[in-house]
Amino acid sequence: MTDDKDVLRDVWFGRIPTCFTLYQDEITEREAEPYYLLLPRVSYLTLVTDKVKKHFQKVMRQEDISEIWFEHEGTPLKWHYPIGLLFDLLASSSALPWNITVHFKGFPEKDLLHCPSKDTIEAHFMSCVKEADALKHKSQVINEMQKKDHKQLWMGLHNDRFDQFWAINRKLMEYPAEESGFRYIPFRIYQTTTERPFIQKLFRPVATDGQLHTLGDLLKEVCPSAIAPEGIDGERKNQVMIHGIEPMLETPLQWLSEHLSYPDNFLHISIIPQPTD
Amino acid sequence: MEEDEFFGEKTFQHYCAEFIKHSQQIGDGWEWRTSKEALELPLDDSEVTEATAATEVIKYEYHVLYSCSYQVPVLYFRASFLDGRPLSLKDIWEGVHECYKTRLQQGPWDTITQQEHPILGQPFFVLHPCKTNEFMTPVLKNSRKINRNVNYITSWLSIVGPVVGLNLPLSYARAASQNE
Repeated sequence: MTDDKDVLRDVWFGRIPTCFTLYQDEITEREAEPYYLLLPRVSYLTLVTDKVKKHFQKVMRQEDISEIWFEHEGTPLKWHYPIGLLFDLLASSSALPWNITVHFKGFPEKDLLHCPSKDTIEAHFMSCVKEADALKHKSQVINEMQKKDHKQLWMGLHNDRFDQFWAINRKLMEYPAEESGFRYIPFRIYQTTTERPFIQKLFRPVATDGQLHTLGDLLKEVCPSAIAPEGIDGERKNQVMIHGIEPMLETPLQWLSEHLSYPDNFLHISIIPQPTD
Repeated sequence: MEEDEFFGEKTFQHYCAEFIKHSQQIGDGWEWRTSKEALELPLDDSEVTEATAATEVIKYEYHVLYSCSYQVPVLYFRASFLDGRPLSLKDIWEGVHECYKTRLQQGPWDTITQQEHPILGQPFFVLHPCKTNEFMTPVLKNSRKINRNVNYITSWLSIVGPVVGLNLPLSYARAASQNE
């Protein structure tokens, strides 16, 4: 029987086989071979693609190289979204490997945030962790930690060190003995069919009668179209996906928050159309 | 809605409505916009055009949004030259007055960063909201002590706005104290 702790490891070590190809209009001195890499679902594109950058820059001249950016089937990829979220939302119904096109010119200013250095990724990551704790604990736990604890969270993610990360992160997953869970659940719900990038609202893990709220309760309240049945046989037209799987709607939200959150302590949930095969 | 919220969403809406009333009186361009899909309520300033020392004209766009995570308003802004070229963080930083720079450099949580606008999904610059309660609480406490009406949005914007080039006309303060 799988232990709850094993779920934490499975989430952390999830990988997506990816094929990086240089954009055809980039100027090269010789042919650029595609580059294959297993991407960590819980990390960020600009954090784990140094080797990709080096590989393609080898066949380019310095003057033809500007800020790197990535695109999948014409959609610029937001590096500040976790990799697993991008894949589930945009490519989970396609065949593997995930095909990503690499650009060194024409940075899409209107679509993507700049990522000038690793510090930018760290600042973004810590900002998310802080916001999650504002929701869970009114920022008490994160503010009580020392700077070195914050650093350890980041270094754990940066160096793919599960134990190093969770030594600190477990404190962010605790709650007072007299409560049944966090104050509010940090979550974001993403759909490609809407203008708005994501839905984020205040939502408590426990109802007033003490019952634990489920994933289904959350969706019914903030995104009912996600689970609406459709057609004569009442089949749902959408999948609700986290880390590449569809958790049962009866799953308690508090449990999901403790076990299926990304390292930034948010539940990033994708609503995608049912695959048509 | 929660009773224990320091500055809940309904309160935010109320102060924004008062703010907009005065804005419409003086015609300085603030608009109230609702997103059809949910309760996030952005307040937009259409355009503020500022001339710099050189010959470049820069167009600033300011949005006031409500953060339900921190339960405070947050200022999002972006700037571009008239030909549409966006300003970089470096350009923005250069426009910040010296007297604000030291304060902003003190901590990562006080600074200006590029973020995704939660409703438009486009890159904007943001002043981090987590210290807002720290500087707003004394303002509100003091106003209660001297029995003076304060519009949270007006007071807050008059503090954070100037850092990034947004200066509210004084008439907003007079309007706030007149509202019972």
